[in-house]
Amino acid sequence: MLIQLAWKNIWRNKKRSLIILSAIAIGLTCGLFVSAVMYGMWDTTIRNTIDKELGHYQLHSNEYKAENLITNYIPNGETVIDSLQMQPAVVAVSGRTIIEGIAASPTSSGGVRIIGIDPPDEQKVTTLYQYMKQGTYLDTVKANTIIIGEKLAEKLNLKLNSKIVLSFQGLDESIVYSAFRIQGTFSSESSAFDETTVFVRQTDLFALLNHPIIFHEIAVRLDSDKELTAISGQIQQNFPGLKVETWRELAPELNMVNDMMSMYLYIFLGIILLALLFGITNIMLMSVLERVREFGMLMAVGMKRIKVFFLVIFEAIALSLAGGVIGIIFGSILTAIFAHVGIDLSIVGEGLSSFGVSSMLYPSLPWTIYPTLTFMIIVTAVISAILPARKAIRLKPSEAIRSF
Amino acid sequence: MPLIELKKICKTYSETKVPVEALRDVDLQIDKGEFSAIVGPSGSGKTTALNIIGGLDDPTSGQIIVDGHDISTLKKDEMINFRLHHIGFVFQAYNLIPVFTARENVEFIMLLQKISKEEREKRAIELLTAVGLADRIDSRPSELSGGQQQRVAVARALASHPSFVLADEPTANLDSKSAISLLELMEVLNHEYGMTFVFSTHDSRVIKRAHRVITLVDGMIASDVANNAAHED
Repeated sequence: MLIQLAWKNIWRNKKRSLIILSAIAIGLTCGLFVSAVMYGMWDTTIRNTIDKELGHYQLHSNEYKAENLITNYIPNGETVIDSLQMQPAVVAVSGRTIIEGIAASPTSSGGVRIIGIDPPDEQKVTTLYQYMKQGTYLDTVKANTIIIGEKLAEKLNLKLNSKIVLSFQGLDESIVYSAFRIQGTFSSESSAFDETTVFVRQTDLFALLNHPIIFHEIAVRLDSDKELTAISGQIQQNFPGLKVETWRELAPELNMVNDMMSMYLYIFLGIILLALLFGITNIMLMSVLERVREFGMLMAVGMKRIKVFFLVIFEAIALSLAGGVIGIIFGSILTAIFAHVGIDLSIVGEGLSSFGVSSMLYPSLPWTIYPTLTFMIIVTAVISAILPARKAIRLKPSEAIRSF
Repeated sequence: MPLIELKKICKTYSETKVPVEALRDVDLQIDKGEFSAIVGPSGSGKTTALNIIGGLDDPTSGQIIVDGHDISTLKKDEMINFRLHHIGFVFQAYNLIPVFTARENVEFIMLLQKISKEEREKRAIELLTAVGLADRIDSRPSELSGGQQQRVAVARALASHPSFVLADEPTANLDSKSAISLLELMEVLNHEYGMTFVFSTHDSRVIKRAHRVITLVDGMIASDVANNAAHED
């Protein structure tokens, strides 16, 4: 009954109710969309980092974690890989050989991380092969081919099919030099990665080192990251001599963003609701002051003060939820549209890539935001209505009935 | 035992610089079945007396016993509950909830009393029919005339099975025809159903029909006479 009366009461002044309802709807539509852009941006960055580089988790030798020397490789790497491939939830495994070295061209040089891969295995774990800008991924039988980042190519003034000289320390501590032919260039949307990372075939690398293939890093892709911690814990138990780390531990800054993302969203939406709170309070106060005689009558005929209190509260909740639901629907529609077509920010792509952020954004929102936001709207409505409700119940019926 | 008994009721308003004695040592008894009017000039205390009888205001001193209950000792929420179950009200204006229909307004009181839906609906229709508004059950107050709205207010006042009905200037905003029609309705309810009505009024049409006229002057009962002409009518 109270709810029915509250709903009918808010439409007594249609214009005023529509104004505040629109304010709530527009505020929440914009708030949700902006939140979706922010959330989508960071979600995409995290996904890209996992997809292009890290995988869901990695294994290293403990010594390698302390000092990434070429000699600190994973013992019996092939056995470890075979064992990992038998694990349920493991989709793909890629063993990598990682050597710090120098890349040089006739005009310039720079420090690089040389990653030796088995291209078919690597393609199952990471998606870097999808980001080739020129040429092809490492899939030919030609020896000594290399793929480098566009940023590095620019820095060394090299192009497709150019020669690039890599120098690095071998297992016997001697310096190894070799020339590689650029088969392709990639752009991963992280300019730091593109400038400092090169990929070669493991077979080419170990032909130069004159050593059987060794792995410094084993990257693993799971079918989902839902049980990441549990699975990595299990793997750690199986290989106590190795350091098993999830992407959260490998990229703690991204992990922090991932954990904080939801909180930032709620804070942002909370600020919008706080601003709307004052408007709702104002409207409810006006509504109560206009109905002083009616409230006096209601209490006179026997409506308890607690019911009068809740009547005002329910009116605020009804008004806020009506606007809130419209805002959530429109915000979700807007998010869904742009989640499909994307937002092209290539105009500021350079700046974004320096943070490892893609220039093509796909807004998204976690499903948990909807019930939480609904709850926040109700709380906002209740808080905004407390002052007007108190005003209503403090009326003296005998005076209120006779007021003008 | 009288239905309403005021014993040495005093009411002083201290909000102003000079305290105002609205009622001074008022002793009054009203029996069941009465059709009485409290009259007097502006400032005589008639509205204050009605408010105190209805529990809408507290006396400064004295005792008020309604239907066997000493209501001067009741707390605010206990008083609200008492009004709900024992007293029906008809005000001068703003009696009805504008967003509810006539039926919903009458049902509202019974809703507060937690009466079942079936019984509420049945009684609401009965009461609205009794007040002559069977064809306006689903009309909102804005669709009713002043007289019709007051009839709905009477129906609502009776919905809670009150011990008596307090009517504060019920005809003040009505034209002659509507006012007479309303008063005739109340007379019928008094005569046929024994419902007690207590009016606060300075409307001569009401005074003419009241069976007893209690005159207040300066907060004291100046006269308390039976209106034999009204009785005979």
